[in-house]
Amino acid sequence: MNRDEIIGGIAIFLFGMATALLSLGMPIGTFRMAGTGFFPLCLGILLMVLSVLFLSKLFFQGKKVSVKREFVERHGSIKQLTFFFGTMVLVTLFFNRLGYPLTSLLLMVALLRILGIKRWGLNILISVVTAVGSYFLFVKWLDIPMPKGWIGL
Amino acid sequence: MFESLQQLATGFTIASTVQNLLYCLIGCIVGTLIGVLPGLGPIAGIALLIPATFSLNPTSAIIMLAGIYYGAMYGGSTTSILLNVPGETASVITCIDGYQMAQKGRAGPALAIVAIGSFIAGTIGIFGLVFLAPPLAEAALAFGPPEYFSLMVFGFVVLSNVTGKSFLKSLMMAIVGLIIGTIGLDPVTGDARFTFGSIYLLGGIEFVAVAIGVFGIGEVLVNINQPSELLDQGVLMPRLRELYPSFQDLKKSIGAILRGAVSGFGIGLIPGPAPVIATYTSYMIERRVSKHPEEFGKGAIEGVAGPESANNSACQAAFIPLFVLGIPFGPVTAIFLGALLIHGVSPGPLMISQHPGLFWGVIASMYIGNFILLILNLPLVPLFANILRIPKRILLPLVILFCMTGMYTVNNSVFDIWMMLLFGAMGFLMRKWAYEGAPLLLALVLGPKLEVAFRQSLMISHGNFEVFISRPISIIFLLATVIFLVFPAVRLIFKKSKKGGG
Amino acid sequence: MLKRIFAISLILSCFIVMPTHAADFPTKEVQIIIPYSAGGATDLIFRALAATTGKYLGKAVVVVNRPGGGGTVGVTEVAQAKPDGYTLLSAITPLTILPHRVTTAFTYKSFDPVINVVKDPGMFLVKSDSPWKSLKEFLDYAKKNPGMITVGNSGAGGGVHLIALAFETTAGVKFNHIPFAGGGPSVTALLGGHINAVSVSPPEGIEHVKAEKLRIIALFAEKRFELFPDVPTVKEQGIDFVMGQWRGLAAPKGTPPDAIKKLHDAFKKGMDDPVFIKNAKDMVVNLSYLGPEDFGKLMAHDDEFYSKLVKEMKK
Repeated sequence: MNRDEIIGGIAIFLFGMATALLSLGMPIGTFRMAGTGFFPLCLGILLMVLSVLFLSKLFFQGKKVSVKREFVERHGSIKQLTFFFGTMVLVTLFFNRLGYPLTSLLLMVALLRILGIKRWGLNILISVVTAVGSYFLFVKWLDIPMPKGWIGL
Repeated sequence: MFESLQQLATGFTIASTVQNLLYCLIGCIVGTLIGVLPGLGPIAGIALLIPATFSLNPTSAIIMLAGIYYGAMYGGSTTSILLNVPGETASVITCIDGYQMAQKGRAGPALAIVAIGSFIAGTIGIFGLVFLAPPLAEAALAFGPPEYFSLMVFGFVVLSNVTGKSFLKSLMMAIVGLIIGTIGLDPVTGDARFTFGSIYLLGGIEFVAVAIGVFGIGEVLVNINQPSELLDQGVLMPRLRELYPSFQDLKKSIGAILRGAVSGFGIGLIPGPAPVIATYTSYMIERRVSKHPEEFGKGAIEGVAGPESANNSACQAAFIPLFVLGIPFGPVTAIFLGALLIHGVSPGPLMISQHPGLFWGVIASMYIGNFILLILNLPLVPLFANILRIPKRILLPLVILFCMTGMYTVNNSVFDIWMMLLFGAMGFLMRKWAYEGAPLLLALVLGPKLEVAFRQSLMISHGNFEVFISRPISIIFLLATVIFLVFPAVRLIFKKSKKGGG
Repeated sequence: MLKRIFAISLILSCFIVMPTHAADFPTKEVQIIIPYSAGGATDLIFRALAATTGKYLGKAVVVVNRPGGGGTVGVTEVAQAKPDGYTLLSAITPLTILPHRVTTAFTYKSFDPVINVVKDPGMFLVKSDSPWKSLKEFLDYAKKNPGMITVGNSGAGGGVHLIALAFETTAGVKFNHIPFAGGGPSVTALLGGHINAVSVSPPEGIEHVKAEKLRIIALFAEKRFELFPDVPTVKEQGIDFVMGQWRGLAAPKGTPPDAIKKLHDAFKKGMDDPVFIKNAKDMVVNLSYLGPEDFGKLMAHDDEFYSKLVKEMKK
């Protein structure tokens, strides 16, 4: 899986470069009166240097795997992962509009389905209990302000 | 000193009234619940409940609020162990080995050792508070911007590689963390940095969002990416006698607990995010001291016992500057300051002499609180451990709901939830590319302070770098950093020459 | 049987959480948004006020912290909130400062003033053993050594920083301003001797003055403090400079006038409540009531003042 490490290294290099470039657009100042961009510029450059060091170490070490990875190599379905994450994103988009109880309900229903709870009865039961339960626990009992949404809860 | 003991005894009398015991109990229970919810840390919990204390006398009020504080600390580690979701900032380190222990079916011992370790650390902390408070508080004042900078540099270098895997990679993660920490308002000039016009980014990225995202959400995503059959399982279910620590576990942990208690106490006295630093330091110490360092990261019980004890004593030590100097060194103690003020008690140099009953009563109740939490939490261990029995198909969505809710409660901001998701994705990638999250989080916490201290020092000294070397405390830390960096290289050179020669 | 009970209770619970009908204001709790984290001076004052006002309003008053962006996030939120009287802003002097320093989505005109609660003067503190025994000595030294005296503040561009800058201009001296992350750290730095003086406003530093660890070397008030009658104001000593911070409540523009009136009356009673008065006294904050109109005038006046001051600063 050296390929993953290389991609990682390059990603970090790009991030460092972006930081350095963006900081140049800010006042750098002097050591006496360090400007806003001073620190990020140093960091960006440092990061670029380190990632180059890292990548060159990888190349010189060749095929030798330096880190024993515990990450499971067999992948589950990418589709499942995408749907899961996608649901989280969608729900967050409507969080304020729908209000907390509805959002938590929808979230649970969707995620449970994606992960394979095919029986709707079980799905709805768990989702409702969780949503109602957390609503009462956090909003009613602990008095924590949560978005009210259009049904006004 | 003898007088202190007498007053402590009086304090215990005050703290042990049925009324105050009850408030302590309520505080502990509420605190644990709050702590379990990620994000909703002690700060929000205490702030929410201050109005509820208005009808109480100051002593009882503070006793209850303090109970919430430790309760939250306990609760925070529960989710770290069970779900890899840091309940609050100081629980990040607990995720590393605690979660691994749970995955191996050892959630019970992990949870229990947290309770036991914290209790022992709390006891030691009480003695520290009683006997060392005033002189230590004054010592903390000697930390000005240059000392603070050198301390941060030292902490940063030493603790970046807290998990001991690739130093280079940890350093890279740390720098990334530093960069993320610069987003927001430049603390010195007040200008916006990397905010791209968003008002939400003006305050920087919420630490909790990154912590829950990288650790909690990242873990969930990694789990989903596994083959489908694994989702039907819960985690290995331990047998009854494996629910609590074995004698061997206790033997291994006691050293860690004691070391954690002492180091945590010292660190807690320093201004700043002491509990977080205390946990990282303790982990580092344990890893260095252990005869089996390779176990760390895979479920070493010392990696849980030490940091959690350090966390507890750091929290206790944080009260010293508050009570003795009247200055809160962190956000939680700041709220306590507020609570005290609202009740008409102004902490400061005069507080102990003007309100001895309050001071000693609260100290005594801290001890009682620790005890209550121990007996409250130990029986709950099986209950909590059983949560892991839930098949992952159901557990994972619950975790997501849990994280989202908790995240929102920190700032009532949906933007934070977005950040959490973003860092969740990043956490997933980090696992794929084998990068550690702990250095990043540490850098996120220390970074802004590091930069501020650096610039403040130079402003005070008119650009003269000497300021870092001419002051004793500062130069000690800088030297220590240099030694720390150079030492492994020197040792390597010696090893090589020995090998070459022999 | 069990299933039926479950089903019925489920349906019943839906009724409990149905929306209530709009009736007389207020029908639910009122929120005060504080654009800073808990524990600061503003936070404390409004928590104390919220506690006593609840009973006069008939519904609870709840404080919500919305920190971030140097105070802009919380303010923006209220500026964009529904003007129905249920969301209020703790309006403090930086409201009139911020729009001139950074691009904000609001100005003081985005709000309808409700009531002003406190007004506290700015002041400079030094350690009790500091070599400058009087304001005159302090300023003389500053004149001879421009840019040498380090004066801490609670944040670059914040209220007390600007007070210090304005004082500089009036007194004709130059200080070396060192920003800290809040009033607490700046006072700590002074106590540790890392800076020469600090610019604050009560209740910051008050405890230490009471304990005689710190001294008030310059007081930018009209009158002397009740608690410290021996401390002269700078005005008495020949420098016509009075500057401070006000803290009050404001509602988003367009809030119905009768909601504002009800809020104003309730908060005024809350301010007059003996518990609040005692709290304020303990915190050494100066109660300074202003009704909506006068408060509005104050905001307008300060807005212009700071607009000029910030332009000077930026030069």
